[in-house]
Amino acid sequence: MLSSSLIVAAASGLTKITDDFGISVPLILAQILSFSIVAIVLWKFAFKPVMTTLDERQGKIESGLQYAEQMKAQLATTQQQTEAALKEAQQKAQAIIVEAQKAAKTLADKQQQDAVEQAAALIAKAQSAIELEKKKMLAEARGEIARLVVATTQRVLAKELSEADRGRFNDAATRELTSV
Amino acid sequence: MAAHAKKAQQFARQLFKMSVVNGTVSPERVSGVLQYVEKHKVANPLIVLKAYARLIATELAKSHATVEHAGEISAATLSTIAAAMSKKYGRPVTASAKPNPALLAGLRVQVSDDVYESSVAGQLAALSAAV
Repeated sequence: MLSSSLIVAAASGLTKITDDFGISVPLILAQILSFSIVAIVLWKFAFKPVMTTLDERQGKIESGLQYAEQMKAQLATTQQQTEAALKEAQQKAQAIIVEAQKAAKTLADKQQQDAVEQAAALIAKAQSAIELEKKKMLAEARGEIARLVVATTQRVLAKELSEADRGRFNDAATRELTSV
Repeated sequence: MAAHAKKAQQFARQLFKMSVVNGTVSPERVSGVLQYVEKHKVANPLIVLKAYARLIATELAKSHATVEHAGEISAATLSTIAAAMSKKYGRPVTASAKPNPALLAGLRVQVSDDVYESSVAGQLAALSAAV
């Protein structure tokens, strides 16, 4: 009895409040329903696609950033490799230069040695030629002197030998030839 | 042609052997050989006769000594030289004199291709060659 009276009292109080503020329950319920419908429609056809688009963009941005990071790392790696390759190439070039300098020095030394040997050979050949020429001249002079002596002797003997001398020589020659 | 010449040479040598009697060339045999060549038809007669003449001349030269001399030379000297050469070669060798003033003095004896010399010119030439 008490509770029913309390409930009636509460209902009357509530009714008083709604009356005081001009609230209509059916209107409120209708508004709640329409708001819910609008909210569901907006969620379904506006907010959700926008969120999906935003998520996609976010994903693209993140993947782009990740790609950029990868590229940055790859660039750094490539730069290191390039530097290493350059350094190696520089070392090889330096080694080649040193080798070429050594070869050039060896070649120059050999050419110098060859030139010295050739000069020595030329000098020896020239000395030999001079010696040969000298011997040839001496031989020619000796031959010429001998020829002159013989020719002179022949002329003198042709004039000076008498028939008696020739006869004696012929006798001696006969004895010599017959004793062969 | 070469084969014909070779055969002709061989034939000439055969004729030459027939012309030599006791190591000397027989005039009768030579005359007989020439008559044979003249009467009979011999292949390549010109080549045969040339070779035969060369062989006979060479053989005759072996039996003859040419004595070149400067100054007078006596017949006795020639005989002595001919006797010495006959003894040396084992066949009769005749000798003939041929004056050669270039020898100055002395003799040069040539028998075929052999030359024996004892002359002033030869001694001077030897001296010149030695110097």
